[in-house]
Amino acid sequence: MTGMIHALLPELWLGLLFGVLLLLDLKWGETRSSTLSMIAAAGLLPVFPILVWQSGLPFRDLIGGMYRLDALALFFKGIFAAAALLVILMTRELERDIPRGHGEFTLLILTAAFGMFLAASSANFVMLFVSLELMAISFYVLTAYLQTNAGSLEAGMKYLILGSLASGLLLYGIAFIYGSTGSMQFSKIQEIMSHGQAMPVPLRFGLLLVIAGILFKVAAVPFQFWVPDVYQGAPTPVTAFLSVGSKSAGFLVAFRVVQELFILQAKQWTPLIVWVAGLTILYGNLAAIPQRNIKRLLGYSSIGHAGYILIGIATASRLGSSAVNFYLASYLFTNLAVFLVIAAFSRQTGSDEIRSYAGLSRRSPFLAAMMFVALLSLAGVPPLAGFFGKFLLLMGAVTEGYLALAIIGAAAVVVSLYYYLQIVYTMYADKPEDPSPIAVSLPVRLALWVCLAAMLGMGIWQGPLLQLSLAAISGS
Amino acid sequence: MNPVTGIILFPTIGAMILLLIPQRREDWIRRVSAAATLIPLGLALWMVFHFPRGVAGYHWVQRIAWLPALGIQYQVGVDGISVVLLLLHTLCGFTGVLVSYRIKERVKEYYVFYLLLIGGVAGVFASLDLFFFYLFYEMAVIPMFPLIGIWGSGEKAYATMKLTLYLTAGAVLALIGLLSLYAISGAHTFDLIFLEHFLRQNPIPGDMQRFLFPFLLVGFGVIAPIWPLHSWSPLGHAAAPSAVSMLHAGVLMKLGSYAILRIAVQLLPEGAYTWMPWVAGIAIMNIVYGGFVAMAQKDIKFVIGYSSSSHMGYVLLGIACLNPIGMNGAVLLMFAHGLMTAMAFAAVGHIYDQTHTRVISEWGGLARQVPFIATAFVMAALASAGLPGFANFISELLVFFASWNSYRWSALAAVFGIVITAFYMLRAVRTGFFGPLNPRWAHLQDATVFERVPYLILLAGLLIVGCWPKFLLEIISTSTPSVLSHLNPLQVVAKL
Repeated sequence: MTGMIHALLPELWLGLLFGVLLLLDLKWGETRSSTLSMIAAAGLLPVFPILVWQSGLPFRDLIGGMYRLDALALFFKGIFAAAALLVILMTRELERDIPRGHGEFTLLILTAAFGMFLAASSANFVMLFVSLELMAISFYVLTAYLQTNAGSLEAGMKYLILGSLASGLLLYGIAFIYGSTGSMQFSKIQEIMSHGQAMPVPLRFGLLLVIAGILFKVAAVPFQFWVPDVYQGAPTPVTAFLSVGSKSAGFLVAFRVVQELFILQAKQWTPLIVWVAGLTILYGNLAAIPQRNIKRLLGYSSIGHAGYILIGIATASRLGSSAVNFYLASYLFTNLAVFLVIAAFSRQTGSDEIRSYAGLSRRSPFLAAMMFVALLSLAGVPPLAGFFGKFLLLMGAVTEGYLALAIIGAAAVVVSLYYYLQIVYTMYADKPEDPSPIAVSLPVRLALWVCLAAMLGMGIWQGPLLQLSLAAISGS
Repeated sequence: MNPVTGIILFPTIGAMILLLIPQRREDWIRRVSAAATLIPLGLALWMVFHFPRGVAGYHWVQRIAWLPALGIQYQVGVDGISVVLLLLHTLCGFTGVLVSYRIKERVKEYYVFYLLLIGGVAGVFASLDLFFFYLFYEMAVIPMFPLIGIWGSGEKAYATMKLTLYLTAGAVLALIGLLSLYAISGAHTFDLIFLEHFLRQNPIPGDMQRFLFPFLLVGFGVIAPIWPLHSWSPLGHAAAPSAVSMLHAGVLMKLGSYAILRIAVQLLPEGAYTWMPWVAGIAIMNIVYGGFVAMAQKDIKFVIGYSSSSHMGYVLLGIACLNPIGMNGAVLLMFAHGLMTAMAFAAVGHIYDQTHTRVISEWGGLARQVPFIATAFVMAALASAGLPGFANFISELLVFFASWNSYRWSALAAVFGIVITAFYMLRAVRTGFFGPLNPRWAHLQDATVFERVPYLILLAGLLIVGCWPKFLLEIISTSTPSVLSHLNPLQVVAKL
């Protein structure tokens, strides 16, 4: 019993936090929503020491094989908690846009994070599906939260319909896998598949559908159609959380299903994933070029990044898998830095058009500098975190012999640099239409400093995170 | 502290200190920047004077384990080739800070980017680990974007984007080559010193070398710049502020040829042997084509820009000879051309800041109005034309000697290139600086005593090495044989 509580401590803590905040929200109403979000942010901090402490526990499956405590789960829970924390710091920039229900907005972010936490520890397909749905449904509501904004409602509706379709595919796939193997339990399926025999057709079909569900979550070709509209329409913190949280959850499932359950059969799927990765990189980066809205541009660029990370999945090697982990952790801080700047900027100017960023370096040197660094990190320029992630991925691809894929990835770096640097040029060299300075709130300032420290730290002193990324692969 | 690390670190630390100084304290910003580039210059000079001549291998090596799991270590050090190029770099970096005293707009940001650029370039010359080599290489490319985009002139938006994308495209192509080298060598390390020894014992199969060599040649060649990938370069020179043009033409372009000889030629000798005739052909295109295009230019910065890409053809030709004489000539020419072109760009920048035009035919008679600057430009033009007494002469001579043995027709074409250079340089001098003074420029100010310092430093470098080439050649020739030592001895003899 104690062992179970120890293993479930992060989830229990999140549940407690959620309950307390729910009661406080009922008591305070709309009046003290910013205090509420600060409590939520502070409440997420203890999760990190808990996760560190848990890494010393014996790794095993609990609760009748439903729940798994391993290094991979802990690594991803760290990513989810950091993402939720930074996103909550961002939500205060939205106060004016949301007519009512600030408290619920924060609570929904926590439920999404709770879903991600459970997904990280799922050791059973039913559990996995339920936790992913918990996450997805929270996101459907969050996306449509700006009730007076047609773009937000459209985005929410689009995400709901396409997301449900993807959930259906995933569930259908799970049913086929269950039908072929007779179990929902990861450990049992792993045991059955560990003899390395050929996969029967229904099982292949099931796995294909599950992979389709994963590709939807990570926003990869050909399941990327929802991304631009949803990213543009959703409230900025939600877009940010989708881009780092939901995407990471998708890759987590890819690890669990493709690499742990079917690792011996994985090589058969490699050509498929290589093609998907290459097409996703090209589509995302090329389609980002003509964008005029910065959130839409980041939507396309996030498709491109999903393609890069898929390189690591495709290589199915230790190096490639640790590269995925490293990349996701660096992408978290980098992308959130960009969205923090966007949120702070649009709070004052009400605009997400790239054109309106002209002269930002004069209006707010701090925001412009942070945006500059973050965009360079996204493009993969040393000595920033994004560079080392890309370096590891390309290294994985080259050592496994996927030279063509590596060349596509390398070429896309140049394309992405083009559209990122267009923004930089607008911020630094163009004249502002309205030279009024932009105020930056304390939480955003704080969160941006954290992101900067992470981008530089992971980029220069790569050792610790690389160790964690490697441990997350081999510890399971 | 290790002097090599110091050369990388001081500019970088300087940039960090600048971030803490308030924007309005411009005097302190300039002082810190000067110190952050003067100390590395001192270190480089100290290393050149204390260099153990005749002792092959790397000196002042510092090694810090970085990512042992991947075979990555921070490892820096110099041999005879890189120490000379570091001297060139620190000379251009320091004089560039002095020339930048004319920058009045957003001074702090300017120096931050400038110092980051200086640190990155120094890192490339000093790295003895392929990972850090690449890391510094990209770090050197990116600060160019804001430096040209914000403080540049003319078509700067187009120029800076084209430059950044070309150089990044080259860099990632080279990265694929480096990673393949890592994967194929089987040594599982990026350690350059170890790889040199390892690959001498266990050479990569010839086919593989021939396959990989173009990745590195073209990837690093973009910055060299090899024809026909050179078009970003004159454009970038023309749009950049003076100090950045100095550094760009003086040092950045040398990164390419340095990387080609240090990595591509040294680690892939058979690939080099197969592809070198092509490189010689490209070099001739650089020399002749670049020269003819320079003749057709009206803007003085474009003249020097195309002339630079033409002169880098001699460097490539020297490398292509694959013998120690040509290699010595190539390295010495990198040094000489760097100082020469830095001086030319500094002089042009001085005039442009006051005339706001760089069209040569609109100048006229400036020698009367700004005699010191005019003298500096004339000296640079003469050096460029290969006048004896300047370092350029002796280095070009070495390249001719070497190529006469290896590629006779190329040598003839290269000598013809000298005539072209003399033609457009002397024409620019005649039209721009002599003849009657254009009355529009009666207000021009000559360099003050303080402003003369950078020119004197650069000129001293050119003349000292020109009159006493042994001073540097002894150091360079300590290391050139070991770059070529991977080649089959028979092949070297055949080349000679």
